[in-house]
Formats: sequence, structure tokens, C-alpha cells
Amino acid sequence: MRFSMLPSVFVQMFKKPWTNKFPAKYAPSNTTQFLKDVGEGKAEIIPPIPPEKGFRGKIKYDKEKCIGCQLCIKYCPCEAIEFKPKDKKIKIYLSRCCFCSQCNDVCPTNCLTMGEEFLLADADPYSKDLIVE
Amino acid sequence: MKKKVTPEEVVKYFKDEFKTKIKGAKIVKRKFGSKKKESYYVWMKVDRTVFKDSIEHLIKLQYPHLAVASGNDIGKIIEIIYHFTLNYDQPLEEIILNISVELPKTDPTIDTISDIIPGALITEREKMEMLGITVKGIPDSSRVFLPDDFPEGVYPWRRDKTGPEKYYKNLHEVKK
Amino acid sequence: MSEEAITKTSYHIPVGPIHPALKEPVYFEFELSGEKIIDVNVKLGHVHRGVEWASRKRNPIQVLYLAERICGICSYCHPAAFTLAVENACDIEVPERADYLRVVQAELERICSHILWAGVAAHEIGFDTVLYFTWQIREKALDLTEFLTGNRVTKGIMTIGGIRRDITPDMLPRIKRDMQFFKDNFEKLRHIFLDDKTVKMRSQNAGILTKDDAIKLCAVGPTTRASGVKKDVRTGESYFAYGDLDVKCITPKDLTGTVNGDVYDRIIQRLLEVKQSIELIEQCIDEMPAGDIVSEPKIPKLMNQIKKIEGEGVGRHEAPRGEVIHYVKFDGKSENPYTWKVRAPTYNNILPWIPMLKGEQIADIPIVAASTDPCMSCTNRVAIVKDSKRYELTKEQLHKLSVEKTRRLMK
Ligand code: SF4
Ligand code: SF4
Repeated sequence: MRFSMLPSVFVQMFKKPWTNKFPAKYAPSNTTQFLKDVGEGKAEIIPPIPPEKGFRGKIKYDKEKCIGCQLCIKYCPCEAIEFKPKDKKIKIYLSRCCFCSQCNDVCPTNCLTMGEEFLLADADPYSKDLIVE
Repeated sequence: MKKKVTPEEVVKYFKDEFKTKIKGAKIVKRKFGSKKKESYYVWMKVDRTVFKDSIEHLIKLQYPHLAVASGNDIGKIIEIIYHFTLNYDQPLEEIILNISVELPKTDPTIDTISDIIPGALITEREKMEMLGITVKGIPDSSRVFLPDDFPEGVYPWRRDKTGPEKYYKNLHEVKK
Repeated sequence: MSEEAITKTSYHIPVGPIHPALKEPVYFEFELSGEKIIDVNVKLGHVHRGVEWASRKRNPIQVLYLAERICGICSYCHPAAFTLAVENACDIEVPERADYLRVVQAELERICSHILWAGVAAHEIGFDTVLYFTWQIREKALDLTEFLTGNRVTKGIMTIGGIRRDITPDMLPRIKRDMQFFKDNFEKLRHIFLDDKTVKMRSQNAGILTKDDAIKLCAVGPTTRASGVKKDVRTGESYFAYGDLDVKCITPKDLTGTVNGDVYDRIIQRLLEVKQSIELIEQCIDEMPAGDIVSEPKIPKLMNQIKKIEGEGVGRHEAPRGEVIHYVKFDGKSENPYTWKVRAPTYNNILPWIPMLKGEQIADIPIVAASTDPCMSCTNRVAIVKDSKRYELTKEQLHKLSVEKTRRLMK
């Protein structure tokens, strides 16, 4: 058979595309400007497909519960966690983090959990959004 | 493929031929799954003088699959471990045969086996550049993984002064 | 290529190295006479990142994630082989349920990888509609991976002594539904690949690897099985739950009755394996025993146990591309591995390229090289030195040559 894909291609012409056009239908010529516009409410963003339950996104840290045992620092594969000796708490640099959730597993008081947020791209690795403390 | 062998037979086969030149032969059995079927690992140390003969002897028993050779730097000695697989077309009878050879650092030479098992070429070349051993009679001794401008006399897997320690700096420097 | 200058002398073409982002960039040097390849020389190591050395500074839990980043597509296989090696060295027993869960993950990864490969292979011969079709199926497989592990690519599911996430009964309907989807689409894909004239024309009798060469050069995985060597870690050794399951080592013989060891056979081999993987997942889901999923949930305790161990172990796992083998040695002083050696399947599938490529044409390089499923980075840049002038062929041009050959054959 020579044109075995032809029927599928034909059917495809009348179907909705599979791709979710995130963040906009056409790539904006200036992304920074586009994001600014979105922030000001001038432009609209096409929402991303929501992640599955159990997705490993931005870490949430419950500071009150933390006892400063430093186990998470010992087992973090990326050395993304820093200890603050003064107040015996930790500081997580998300720009180094690989979102493996190993710190969640070792923490004896369960004060770390993985959130849902995944839009974390930033030009500055030390920006406020990328540091959890 | 010739008939299948059992791990005990493999050890006996080598011991009969090389007697005291084979040291520390042991068979490790591990169980997996809910039916607890066994898998076999054979470990043995072969004296350097009979290494090539032992591989030739092994081929007489069965043509093995050479997975890879790995190497350790243990003080004054470099240990090269050849991981072979026997019985690989027999369901659940595969044996992993690990033959290790100890080479003194003063004279780290070993015979090539790439003439009898051509697939050993890449792994032998890798051991040459990573551990600084010399493989006698290897058809192609150029580097495989290291770049051509990597300094001579530095061997990344060594733990002594020929190791790579002085070549790295500031691995984890973070802005505070 | 231009008309003139077909002389008797042979030319050298370097192919590669290239895309550092992909897993194993390779540099080839071809010796050509006209369009025919006479000799091939291979150089590796353009992205050697020294992970084995880096492991000396990390504890086994950290090494797991380092191993995961060796390869993007086999991001389950390397941690799996590493864990097996550690478990063998330290004699850690794994709960039965974890053994089954590990099989599910391994087979899901195989489906992803083989379907991705099928798309790339189709693209190499200029059959792009199939590429998009396979991407559609793979998207579902990735979604299912995310559902089961929490991430699409770097799964982070393996841990020493078990597995990190369980499959609960409420997840089963979704898994079953997706398996049905794979089965339906697999039939379509099989029909396209095995009955289409275009695919047959380009792949039959191209890049032959004989059984003898496959054994001698120690080839692994689908590459060696397509040449008729029955080497499959899943059937040979009892590890994970493979010893309990009904796995058969398949070769193209099961479908066509003969084994030629050409590109076409490697296509058949991979397609048959996709089907086998779907069946294995279904079997696992049905037969999975209840129980724990890790032997020691307290990681610091586990590390103390490992710290005292002096010994070595080997772990092997059948990755989509073939056998992965890891060797680990502990010295009893620290929990960090004393030595860690990684052997990825492509390592052993490099040498078989030489007999495969000899005697083929330049336009066949992409499909023959792709047929062993390496990273495709190697075909990024080809320079042809002709009449002492230097021509550079980019990956796009090489791809174009390949597409043109298909067109020529179709006339
Ligand atoms: S998620 Fe992983 S990489 Fe990120 S801070 Fe926790 S342990 Fe470190
Ligand atoms: S492991 Fe948990 S309790 Fe201990 S320092 Fe880290 S966050 Fe705090």
C-alpha cells in the first residue's frame, strides 16, 4: 500500500488541533512586553494545561514546623538548600532545585510540600520568586 | 550457542585449569519478585599472568557477551573488572561472571582481549585513558572519551596525584 | 552532489560531533568512493561529563538523581540499574509490590522510547505524517507518566529499597483506558510500518548486521535481537518481577519467519516490543500483590546501613535500547560510592555501526544510524572534502538527500 497515512491526514483536516497554544495564539514579538501587558490586564494569556495531581512544582515551606535538623540539606542532590544558622531555618534556591521532592521525603516534621506552580522562568536566578524561605 | 552451564560448573571449570591462580571465587545468588526466582553473580580474581589464557579458556566453554570492564584504584593496585554474561539465550539462566585482575601501579600492563572478543575495543581504550593502564597489543590506542587536548599523565579515575583533583575549582560557588 | 569529480580516489567525510544537549554525540569519519561508504571510524566522548567521578562526592540518594540525568529518554533505566547494583552490594531485599511497580515504570518508558524512535525513523526517510502520528501517541504516554510519577521526563520514582509512588486502585481505570488507546493505535502504526511500500523500500536490505557480528561485537538490545541473538536481560535474568511474568524474548522471526538483521528487521523488532510492553503492564496490574513499597522508609537509617558495607555489586536492566549495566563499590568508610561505573547501551552499539554502514550510500547514513536508536545528534554536520575544497553538509541537507532518495525510489 502506498498512501496508508492518507485517510488519517484527511480526517485531521476537520479536527481541532491537539496543541494548546500557550501562552498566546501567535508567538509575541516581544515576550517581556507581552508579559507586562498581561500583568496590566491589557492582553490575555491562554491558560496552560493544568498539571496532574501529584505534580512536583514550586516547593511550599512551613517555617513554623521546621526544627532545623538539616536533613534536607544532606540529601538534596542539587545543593539547592542553604542553612540559616541564626534563626535555624532553611532557604531554598529554586533556580538550582530539580524538583525531585527528596527533601519532602526526608523531612521528619513534614514541613516541606510540593506545590502546583510551574511557571517559574525568570531572568534573574536570585529573584524573589525563586527563593523559598 | 553451546549448552548451558551452572555457576558452580563455571567456578570449577576455572579452578581445574588454573588452580591457585584463581582467588576469591564466590557465587552470589539473589532472589527477586514474588516467585523468588534466583539470579546468579560469579566473582573471581584471576592472576595477571594467566588472564589472557583464562579468557581463551572461557571461550572454549561458551562465547561470552562482554558487557563492560570497570576499574578501581585501590592504593598501590589498579583493579580491572571484566563483566561477562554467560547463558544469555537461556531463559532465567543468565550468569554474570565478573573477572577481576589486579595490576600493580608500577607496571600497569595487561594483555588485550580485543583480538578474541572484538567488542572489547572501546572499553579497553577507555580503561587506558581513564586509569592510565597499558593494554598490550591493542589495535587502536587512541583516546575515545577524553578530548585530544586533555593533558598527558592525568587519569580521571585515579585517586593519587595523577588524578584530576587539581583541575577543578569553585564547583559550588553561589552568590550569597 | 555535482556531476563532475567522480574519480577513483576515495574521500573522507567527517560526520558529527554535535548537539551537546543530546545524550551521546558521536563523531564519524567516513571513507567514501563516490557515494559508497568503504570505511568508518568512530570517535566518542564529546559530552563526557564525568558523572562517575562526581558520584564520589555524593551519597547514594543523591547519585540516583545524578544517574537520572545521564539520559533524558532512559531517565528511569539508569537509576534502576544503579539501585539494583546498590541493593546487590548491600544485600537489601525489596518488597514484592515494589518489584511489580518497577516493571510498570520500565515498560511505560519502553513504550515512550520506541514510539519516539518510530517517529524519528519515519522522519529520516521523509515520511513526516507518521512522525506527527507517533507524537500524538507518545503525548498520551507522557501524560500517563506524569500521572503515575509526577513528572513527564525526569521521573524521580526510584529509590533504594523500593519505589517512591504507589499505584492506588483509583488510578487503575485511567491506566487501563490508556492501555486500550495504545493498543488501538499500535495496530494502526504497525500497519503503516509493516505494509507500507515506502518504508520497505528504504529499509529492506539496508544496514545489515549479521548474527555473527552481533555476537562478536557484543551488541545489545533490539539491535542484537533484530539480528537473531536472543539476548534480553528481562528473560535471561530474574530481576524486578520479570521472573514471575510471562516474558518471551522476541526476535523478528516471530513475525516474518526469517531474520535478516537489516533496518526493516529492527523496525519490526521495536514494534513487537511495544506490543509486549503493553501486555506486560496489563499483566503487572492484574497480578500485583499488596504490601509495602519500600523496605526502609527512613533514609538516614538506610544510609547508616550502607555506610558499614564493604562490597561491590552489579546491576543490570534492559533499557529501551538494550542492557544498561552499573557497577558500584563501597569501601565501608563512607556512604558515598568508592567507584561507580555506568555502561549505557549505545556504548556497545557503536562498534556494530561499522559493519552496518560499510557498503551503504551517504543518503542511508541517517536511517542506518537511527536504526540502532542512538541520539540523532551525530548527523548534525557533515563536511565533504572533495577536490581539496571543503563542503559542509548540515543535518538539513543530509536529511534532504535522504528524502530525495526515497522520492527516486518511488518513481
Ligand atoms: S526538591 Fe530536590 S532539588 Fe529541590 S530542594 Fe528538594 S531535594 Fe533539593
Ligand atoms: S528536614 Fe525539615 S525540619 Fe529539617 S531542616 Fe529541613 S525543612 Fe527543617
